[in-house]
Amino acid sequence: MAAVEVHRFAQCITCHAWSPDRSMLAFCPNNNEVHIYTLMQSKWEKLHVLQKHDQIISGIDWSARSNKIVTSSHDRNSYVWNLEGSEWVPTLVILRLNRAALCVQWSPKENKFAVGSGAKTVCICYYEQENNWWVSKLIRKRHDSSVTSVAWHPNNILLATASTDGKCRIFSTYIKVVDAKESKTVSSSDAKFGELILQLDLSSSWAFGVRWSPSGNTLAYVGHNSMIYFVDEVGPSPLAQNVAFRDLPLRDVLFLSERLVVGVGFDCNPMVFAADERGIWSFIRFLGERRITSSGPKYGSQLSGAFRTLYGQPKHGLSNDTNDHSRPQGTVHENCINCIVPLGTSGSSKVMRFSTSGLDGKVVVWDLENQADLSEYF
Amino acid sequence: MANTLRLYLTCIRNTLDAAMCLQNFPCQEVERHNKPEVELKTSPELLLNPVLICRNEAEKCLIETSINSLRISLKVKQADELENILTKKFLRFLSMRAEAFQVLRRKPVQGYDISFLITNYHCEEMQKHKLIDFIIQFMEDIDKEISELKMSVNTRGRLVATEFLKQFI
Repeated sequence: MAAVEVHRFAQCITCHAWSPDRSMLAFCPNNNEVHIYTLMQSKWEKLHVLQKHDQIISGIDWSARSNKIVTSSHDRNSYVWNLEGSEWVPTLVILRLNRAALCVQWSPKENKFAVGSGAKTVCICYYEQENNWWVSKLIRKRHDSSVTSVAWHPNNILLATASTDGKCRIFSTYIKVVDAKESKTVSSSDAKFGELILQLDLSSSWAFGVRWSPSGNTLAYVGHNSMIYFVDEVGPSPLAQNVAFRDLPLRDVLFLSERLVVGVGFDCNPMVFAADERGIWSFIRFLGERRITSSGPKYGSQLSGAFRTLYGQPKHGLSNDTNDHSRPQGTVHENCINCIVPLGTSGSSKVMRFSTSGLDGKVVVWDLENQADLSEYF
Repeated sequence: MANTLRLYLTCIRNTLDAAMCLQNFPCQEVERHNKPEVELKTSPELLLNPVLICRNEAEKCLIETSINSLRISLKVKQADELENILTKKFLRFLSMRAEAFQVLRRKPVQGYDISFLITNYHCEEMQKHKLIDFIIQFMEDIDKEISELKMSVNTRGRLVATEFLKQFI
């Protein structure tokens, strides 16, 4: 079994993130709080509760090197949390948004982070030493709808966004004060801040979950029409591949290596996609086994129960003996998976372990160490 | 169950299974709001194409989907005037008690007899396949219920008539 650890933390989890050493887990239990748990003597204990937002939290990201947590929320704000002593101290980020923030991600160098929003804009935030606060710069006017996902290119300059207008866009986020002291070798560093490098119009429906491959050569994003899109050679002449699958749409993707991608979504079961030697992507298989439950419990007559209470007398003709129920799920997750986080060791471009969380309130750790048929793609 | 009804319900079940892919999505137009997009219809890009499933002219099912909500509207078979009035009264009776059903809409969409509104919050609280089972079960039962009601009205009418006419013997 690929799922090595299953733990149910809450009724419902919107997003989660791991501390750099993987000892702590931060997640949002579908409300305005962030809970931080740690593993103590093989038992998960609640360490901290971060309360500052006043609406549901849509994104959490925990930076690997600076050990800071950034959260974004539907209340239009973002906070950067810093551990001082044993307390998490929040710093408000003035996003200058007038709609909900939907997603957040630290840049690879952790000197910037990007927030996608329902205001059809993307905020790039960076720390200003003189004023001791986080400043936000907005990329306006390019998106026709909410920005559902953002992904940083490993070069710390390019940012890919997915939007509900079905397009995936790549922007330059070159900020002089932040990036000038960094290496000048990046080819795109001549592009100004907020310049649209590429617009991909492949999907006919909403786009979600965008990610770059570890090297930054390939970009993957998903559409709500049960398609996943792979884009190679991002630049003036990109090469795109569409892979359609027969199951329910995906919400998020993750590159495990240059040739292996895991997608999670409404099918409650992670899907594995891989590229063969020629670079042609295809659907390989589901990661979790489907346990076939012979016949579910007799839940059936909610309605006849309702009728019964309304009538005050038992109805016998309503029992649903000839009812064909929807297929029982029988997978590790029981509801839509909406977040997938790598659990790789730093310095390695391969990710053998990752964790998923979903609306069923479970966090599941998956390990592909023993999956023989997938090892060739690493 | 009649074979055609089975096909009709299977079709609705499969469509619902595909359509019920909802997520939390805040309003793009109004600050700090989170409302079912299928009701507001403020952003056309957040709506999907509606699906109309018809068994015949009198029985149909409209499924409208948006990013965070789903609306199912049913038209129930009404063969004669008595069935018409029974359906109307009965479904009104249910709609008045919409809270008890959670997913029931207080008012049906125009042209339909009863509507359900399923939002992402329902999908978070309840299991998706049970929600779908509930809708299908509801559709199965509603036909049975109406014909049962019709039968009892007729029986009662016959009884009353017999009792009334007895005095003239």
